Amino acid sequence: MGRISHFNAPLTPAVLHILLALSIQERHGYGIMKQVEADSQGKVKMGPGTLYGAIGRMIESGLISESDKKIDPALDDERRIYYQITALGQKTLAAELDRYREIIALARQRRLSPITSTYGI
Amino acid sequence: MASEHSINRYRHWYVKLLRLYPEAYHHRFAREMEQTFNDLLRERVGKEDSLLRFVIRIFCETLLAIIQQNLSVMFRQNQRLIRILLAVASILIVPLIAMQFSNEVVWTLTDFIIAGALLLGIGLTYELAARKGGNLKYRAAVLLALAATLLMVWLNLAVGIIGTESNPANLMYIGVLAVGIVGAILARHQPTKLARALFATALSQTIVTIIALVANLGSPENGPLKIVILNALFITMWIASALLFLYSHTPTLKSHPPSPEH
Repeated sequence: MGRISHFNAPLTPAVLHILLALSIQERHGYGIMKQVEADSQGKVKMGPGTLYGAIGRMIESGLISESDKKIDPALDDERRIYYQITALGQKTLAAELDRYREIIALARQRRLSPITSTYGI
Repeated sequence: MASEHSINRYRHWYVKLLRLYPEAYHHRFAREMEQTFNDLLRERVGKEDSLLRFVIRIFCETLLAIIQQNLSVMFRQNQRLIRILLAVASILIVPLIAMQFSNEVVWTLTDFIIAGALLLGIGLTYELAARKGGNLKYRAAVLLALAATLLMVWLNLAVGIIGTESNPANLMYIGVLAVGIVGAILARHQPTKLARALFATALSQTIVTIIALVANLGSPENGPLKIVILNALFITMWIASALLFLYSHTPTLKSHPPSPEH
């Protein structure tokens, strides 16, 4: 039941960014944090509290799952838990992006944004 | 640039802060959060902006998340909380109704507040103890000890155990309760240690009884017999609770294989 409601609901910025960060490859917590920062060009900075709070809820909803526990050679020799997007997570992300596309299409139709062309919409 | 000493100190504090998360959440994510905090610290070291300011920001962010997680757990378990509140309200409604029909029952607003706080405190303590697990005997022991505490406070506030409620000798019971409360805190939910704390409480109550009798502190309102009966009631309750705690711990002994002759 919980999964269906999460699927239909608009996602919070943190959940959307985490799904985007995991859409290409599996990552550990710090990796997700850095990817979100890079994706948003430094506009979205999540602290550990927000990140792991969102990860906990997303695992519960079935949007992501734990992958392996392994070493990240770029950081240290400590084993880390990696997270991966699930099929439900991919569907949810696609649905959310569709929702954004619809909103942008509507905005374009109503000529609400004078700078739409700069974003290539 | 931040020294290694201060970085270690920040890590140490962060680990302590993470302990404020609900137990299940802490068990699941604390190690990872600690790793991430270390990564963030490592990334920050050597940068020009203040490390302390950054650490404070992360601590505040994590603290907000901790509050959110704890509230979420509390709301998930609010059904039990509602049951406790309803039970307290149903008990308090009795004197409220009685006041409408009888002049014998006269409760002020303060009486209701004190009684409500006492009952709620007892209910929440029982809930906390029950959540920590334990079998039926363990829960019965908790309930009995809490009932004795409630009864002792109530009796002392209403009529007093030694003489009247205004008799300063009744202040000795604060010491009796303190022995039980401090002992229970130190016992950390372990049945044998809780039993020891309750035996100590019973012993301190016995000492209070002897002092009251020897010094004749209850006169003229209370004779020695009344003091002995009331205190014996509490001593029995403390000992019964202690025995229940001990008994709740024994099932592991019963799990030994039967002896060959059976």
